[in-house]
Amino acid sequence: MRPLTRIFGLRSRVLLGILIAGGWAAWQLQLDFHELLPSNRWDTARDFFHAALSPAIVYEDPTPPGTQPLLAKVAKGIWQTICFAMTAISMAIVGGVLLGFLSSSAWWEDDPVRDTNWLRQLLRNLINPTIVWLTRTFVVLIRSIHELLWAILFLSAMGLNTLTAILAIAVPYTGYFAKVFSEIIDETPRDAAYAIRELGGSPFNVFFFGLLPRALPDITAYACYRFECALRSSAVMGFFGIPTIGYYLRPAFDEQHFHEVWTYLYALILLIVIVDRWSDLLRRRITQ
Amino acid sequence: MTSHEFELENVTVRFPSVTALDSISLTIGTGEQIALVGPSGSGKTTLLRLFNGTIRPSSGCVRVRQVDTRELSSMKLRQLRSQIGFVHQDLSLVPNLNVLQNVLSGRMGRESFSQSLRMMLLPIQSETANVHKLLERVGIEDKLFARTDRLSGGQQQRVAIARALYQQPEAILADEPVSSVDPARAKDTIGLLTKICRDDNLTMCVSLHNLDLARKFFPRLIGLREGAIVFDRQTSELDDDEFHRLYQLTEEEMLSDKVES
Repeated sequence: MRPLTRIFGLRSRVLLGILIAGGWAAWQLQLDFHELLPSNRWDTARDFFHAALSPAIVYEDPTPPGTQPLLAKVAKGIWQTICFAMTAISMAIVGGVLLGFLSSSAWWEDDPVRDTNWLRQLLRNLINPTIVWLTRTFVVLIRSIHELLWAILFLSAMGLNTLTAILAIAVPYTGYFAKVFSEIIDETPRDAAYAIRELGGSPFNVFFFGLLPRALPDITAYACYRFECALRSSAVMGFFGIPTIGYYLRPAFDEQHFHEVWTYLYALILLIVIVDRWSDLLRRRITQ
Repeated sequence: MTSHEFELENVTVRFPSVTALDSISLTIGTGEQIALVGPSGSGKTTLLRLFNGTIRPSSGCVRVRQVDTRELSSMKLRQLRSQIGFVHQDLSLVPNLNVLQNVLSGRMGRESFSQSLRMMLLPIQSETANVHKLLERVGIEDKLFARTDRLSGGQQQRVAIARALYQQPEAILADEPVSSVDPARAKDTIGLLTKICRDDNLTMCVSLHNLDLARKFFPRLIGLREGAIVFDRQTSELDDDEFHRLYQLTEEEMLSDKVES
């Protein structure tokens, strides 16, 4: 008889392992799928999904005169969501590029023929690897904490304001960018970079004109994708009291104004779809 | 005294697992045109890389224009490299930049980072005109603003040559420059390369697999096998036997290898 390992390849074994682990974990959690059926809250669920068919255009309850119209509030919330995400992403890209370069091995690659005095030896064997290690550790630290946790940390440490809300997104995103940028750079073919080194280019010229232009399409594509994620994060930050779309969504939820809730949700979905289309178009233009 | 462009004196290059060149001595005069021939792994690439200072000899002395490359500082070494054009087997162009930018990058050994950035993003009229003139010489002037990866293999070959020429080099080295194009294009390209080097009085050293091309276009041939020079002769003095032995020997070796395994 053939051994089991021959019948099931590595991939099917991994897949099987994941499924078994998933089943075991569900059993550990005493998962009960009956909970999906909202026994006592059928009405709420029905109202909620029913409201999806008729999102509100005006407030469901009468409002005092002079209140901002609902759609104006939606527009303002969406605009704020974009502003927060945009600011956070811009900060994260700057930080991510900086840390990404420092933690990529291509940045530190040395010309093997360069003179070998003691200073260069010290740099090559001790100082450069130490900087890389420190940078990579720092990157792991900041990206292992989710943006919502960062928000809670900032909230308890110095109160959540516009700046700390932006930082709550920008800090972990810097980590994501640094990791992915450094990987993209290190996976970029280096032949053109070596060619520039061989015609006498300085290390800066080699990196920025031989390597980076080739990595740029992938870097831009990833930044676009992350902007989409940042929009969602920024929307959720509203639940912490930042005036993004989530800020208006929450009271509508609390008061069970489901038609209004759907107006906000549709606006958010529309925004994400538009950004997705736009980044797709951009990606195709730069990578074609 | 005739001036020597490249001079090797008892040069040995050892890599961790193999000795690529074994105690080689040769001189190449300024303005000479030479083809390096020999089977794969005979040391042709290593020899070319010694000439532009991208490999250090394990022992012996490499002099480029009377200067020992081992004694050069990083700065001086970069200066030396900027004066030697190198056309790579895999072309080594940036595929998603346009032809103009790839050719302009030939000047990066001489320019600072900020100058290079300016040149890549906002080339001035004279720079564009110079590149256009070079592209005219290599026959692809209509591709100035084309993305490099849109060009055919033969056209990209010419971009690589134009980049080397834009360095305003004193010598051109080429490592199997035509191994990836069809025979007719290979002949055109080598013909073009030798003509340009003759016109501009550039020293030229090319490694080639194609013996016919080597004999047709180069007055002097150096045959390499297993890191040693088998012959170094004027093409006219070389007889067919000598030439064919260079490759035949390795065939025998391949056969004997097969018997052993």
